[in-house]
Amino acid sequence: MISSSSINSIPAVVEKIVFDENTIRKRVKELARQISHDYHRKNLMVVGILEGALMFTRDLVKKLSFPVSPGFIRISRYERQPHTGEVRIIKDLHRDICGKHVLLIEDIVDTGLTLNFLIQILAERKPASLAICTLLERAELRLVEIPIKYMGFHVKDEFLIGYGLDHRESYRELPFVATMKLKAAEGTTNR
Amino acid sequence: MGIQESSLPISGFAHKSEEELAGFLDFYRIEWLYEPVCFPLSWDEQGRVTESFTPDFYLPQFELYVELTTMKQSLVTKKNRKIRKMRELYPDFKIKILYERDYRKLLFKFGLLE
Repeated sequence: MISSSSINSIPAVVEKIVFDENTIRKRVKELARQISHDYHRKNLMVVGILEGALMFTRDLVKKLSFPVSPGFIRISRYERQPHTGEVRIIKDLHRDICGKHVLLIEDIVDTGLTLNFLIQILAERKPASLAICTLLERAELRLVEIPIKYMGFHVKDEFLIGYGLDHRESYRELPFVATMKLKAAEGTTNR
Repeated sequence: MGIQESSLPISGFAHKSEEELAGFLDFYRIEWLYEPVCFPLSWDEQGRVTESFTPDFYLPQFELYVELTTMKQSLVTKKNRKIRKMRELYPDFKIKILYERDYRKLLFKFGLLE
C-alpha cells in the first residue's frame, strides 16, 4: 500500500497510481532473485541507462545476492530544434566490459530505438554476454524488437511517470509509477 | 543515416509526420527507405493491378515495413482493410502500423507535442 507520506506528496498531474511502492519493491526483489541465480559465480556488470533507470538500478543491485557496483551510461536525446544529429553516448562507462557478463538496465522499453543503439555499441566491446532487464515493457510503440531477458511489468498504452520515468525531467523522484493527465502535460511548454 | 532515400529532400515526404518519423529513425541510426515497394492487392481479369498498397517506410535492418496513419477514421478503416489484405497475400512480410494515437505518444515521449 502507499504510505500516508507518499499520498501527501502526489502531484496534481497524477491520474492513477499503476504500481505502488510495495508492488514495485516486491517485483524488484523477485527480479533480483532470478538474476542472482542466473549470474551466480559469473562476472556480472550491471549497467543502468540514465536518467530513467537510476532508481530501478540502485534498488535492484541492493537486492542481488552478491556485491555489484553498477555503472551508468547516458545517451543524447532527440531534439527537434536545434537538430541534434545522431544519437551518441554523452556519459560512457568507466570500466571495460570485454569478457564480462553485462546486464543493461532500462526503465521502460517502448520503441526499442534506444536499446537497439546501445546493444550495437556495447556488443562491439566484446562482452561475454549482453542481456536486457527492464522494469516496464510497452508493446504499442515497438518499432525494433529487443530481446528482453528480465521484465518487471507489461504496461498499457498510457503515459507514465514516477520511479525514474519523467515528463520533461519532472516526477522521476516519485516512489510509484502512475499515469499522467495528458491534457495537463500537453499544455506545458517544450523543454 | 538512412540509405538512398535518406538523402531525398524534405519535400519528398507526403506528410509532415513522415518527415518527423524519418528524423527519429535518422537520429537513432536506423536505415530506412521511403515507400520503396508497392504491393499489388487486386487484379482484373486481364491481370492488371486494380488495387495496391505502398507502406510508408521499410527498415532493412529489421525487415520491417512501417505505415504511419494520422488521417481521419473513415480513411483509416480503408487503410486497415488494405493492410489486412496485404497480410493475407504476403504473410512473410512484417508490417507495423502507427496510428494517430501511437504517433502522438511518440511525439509526447520525445517532448515534441505542442
